[in-house]
Amino acid sequence: MSGNGRLPMIVMEGVCKFFGDFQALKNINLTVNRRERVVVCGPSGSGKSTMIRCINRLEEHDSGRIVVDGNELTGDVKDINAVRREVGMVFQSFNLFPHLTVIDNLMLAPKLVRKQSKAETRERAMHFLERVRIPEQADKWPSQLSGGQQQRVAIARALCMNPEVMLFDEPTSALDPEMISEVLDVMVDLAQEGMTMIVVTHEMGFARSVADTVVFMDAGEIVEMNPPTEFFQDPKNERTRLFLSQILSH
Amino acid sequence: MSFDVALIVNSIPKMLDGLELTLELLLLSSAIGLFLAVGTLLMRISGLWFLAWPAMLYIYVFRGTPILVQIFVIYYGLPQFELIRESVLWPVLREPFGCCVVALSLNAGAYVSEILRGGVLGVDRGLHEAGKALGLSAPQRFIYVTTPIAIRLAIPAYSNDFISMLKATALASTVTLMDMTGVARTIVAKTFAPYEIFIAAALIYLSMTWVIQRGFGLYERYMSRYVKE
Amino acid sequence: MSVVVGWLDEYFWGAMVILRVFGVAVVMAVLFGLIGAAAKLSRSRIAKGLASTYTVIFRGTPELLVLLIIYFGSAVTLTSLAQALDPEVQFVDIPPFWAGALAIALVVGAYMTETFRGAFLGVDHGQIEAARALGLSTLQTFVYVRIPQMWRLALPNFGNHMLSLMKDTALISVIGLEEIVFVAEIAITVTVKPFTMYFVVALIYLAITTAITGAVAGLEKYANRHLERAR
Repeated sequence: MSGNGRLPMIVMEGVCKFFGDFQALKNINLTVNRRERVVVCGPSGSGKSTMIRCINRLEEHDSGRIVVDGNELTGDVKDINAVRREVGMVFQSFNLFPHLTVIDNLMLAPKLVRKQSKAETRERAMHFLERVRIPEQADKWPSQLSGGQQQRVAIARALCMNPEVMLFDEPTSALDPEMISEVLDVMVDLAQEGMTMIVVTHEMGFARSVADTVVFMDAGEIVEMNPPTEFFQDPKNERTRLFLSQILSH
Repeated sequence: MSFDVALIVNSIPKMLDGLELTLELLLLSSAIGLFLAVGTLLMRISGLWFLAWPAMLYIYVFRGTPILVQIFVIYYGLPQFELIRESVLWPVLREPFGCCVVALSLNAGAYVSEILRGGVLGVDRGLHEAGKALGLSAPQRFIYVTTPIAIRLAIPAYSNDFISMLKATALASTVTLMDMTGVARTIVAKTFAPYEIFIAAALIYLSMTWVIQRGFGLYERYMSRYVKE
Repeated sequence: MSVVVGWLDEYFWGAMVILRVFGVAVVMAVLFGLIGAAAKLSRSRIAKGLASTYTVIFRGTPELLVLLIIYFGSAVTLTSLAQALDPEVQFVDIPPFWAGALAIALVVGAYMTETFRGAFLGVDHGQIEAARALGLSTLQTFVYVRIPQMWRLALPNFGNHMLSLMKDTALISVIGLEEIVFVAEIAITVTVKPFTMYFVVALIYLAITTAITGAVAGLEKYANRHLERAR
């Protein structure tokens, strides 16, 4: 189990979330330590996306506590902004700004939010484009790139803000199969460099090789949470076993 | 009954006399209207009820009543009130031109604000979320993400509305103004040749429409240069 | 405002007039729109050309001008024809009601052509293919698959056209139709309260357009009922 004696990166205590009458999150308790890699899996509608979207306040939790790097998430805008500066997010549908070139996509937030100078921003942006292995696409429009390239740009864009933790919401689900590995490779690199990350995904190979902890969610609850070897070889819960048999059979 | 093509051709120069007023009405009202529209839109999406409700009422009234009636209320109706006659706006509201500009601007403001709102709503929600996740504040998201995309989305509807504005300027002729339609009506009254004169006027309006559509088409192509084919 | 009470009768009858014009114009406009759309979608280059000419002309010309051409043009034509038969005749015209209804129907019909055409093309082609694969004939596909989807797509724009049509009826007062603007003008000469009288006209239009908007919203809800999210 990774992590050191310092404060955990993310703490979720008793978190509940309702959409109208429907309860999407039921009493979620989760602690993520620094440098820890967590993979969250489960059937659709289990609340996995909702859970991580609560961490950067894209969804508002109705009860319980969420603390990110010592900052508690409340309705206060200052708290929210403090959290969002430290948390990077990569979306299933990339969400690159279509009207900005790749490099401008990367430079927008650092300039506006961290108020960096243009030269410094550009240098860092190019650095991250190289990290995701597509520096030559800097001046292209997002629409000119393939899905895999766009997602890598999205990862670079999030990294430009120097986050302490990266959230991935099904990053490869919208990609054609042949492009999945180029994105996973980038994520593996990130993990090996020690980035704290929570990844919602169906890619079990990634979970097995990279994760420190695998979390299984179903119907709004965390059903099981274990290191990958234990999780895959000896699932404790009936529902976990059912899910694994469905997802690993073909 | 003869169809005098020569008359059409000869009338066109006379009609162009009215063109100046038509263009003045169109451009002035559109400019003021755009300004009003942006203001109204911001009020409408502000989330504050005391801003949003007056904005919605304004839009409701001006989209729900005919422009002709709006012009009549302002031109014939407002002088009923001593308050208006003594106010600082009287020099403007006394003149048919001023009244038409006011009516057309208010109309444009209401319609265009809904068009802009359509553009704003058309911006993919995911892009807002990406902006939030990156830590951009709400005003920053609105300026750097929403507005450029909303403008591009709004262009087709706006160009249609601009053409409607052009057509609405013809109503100025009902309050004695000598725009193109006003000039045409005067000539017809003298020559009893409605087909030729009105068709000549129609041809000029059609040419203007064509130019406007081309212009907006080019602008839209430019704004869409980053969109996948 | 009490001065209005004496005129409520006249306003009411005037409102009936514009509603009747509206009704007639709607029928004509929908007809023009359907014919235009069919022509544009057909394979005949002549039909496409004619339909295009129609839409370009009537979407680019002010409604008022169209109204004036039709009314005064037909008046001049009919008068000279009548005078050829009987020199005593002074003036013959198409009643403003019909000239007006035709004029506004021609203009809005041009917009409806585009709406119907767009709605027709907007029906997911995959559905048509599925229907054919299931063995439905062209006519059955049209009636049971195309039309239900089409009107759902056309509805929002169609609603807007209804509103335009309704507001355009005010223009017909310019050629002498005795409706509510006309009533207001008479009332003003008597009461000298132009704002009040035109304000009532505006209120009547607002009431009617609100009713139309409400009806369209209701229809839209009905048409889209199968698309509501599963809980």
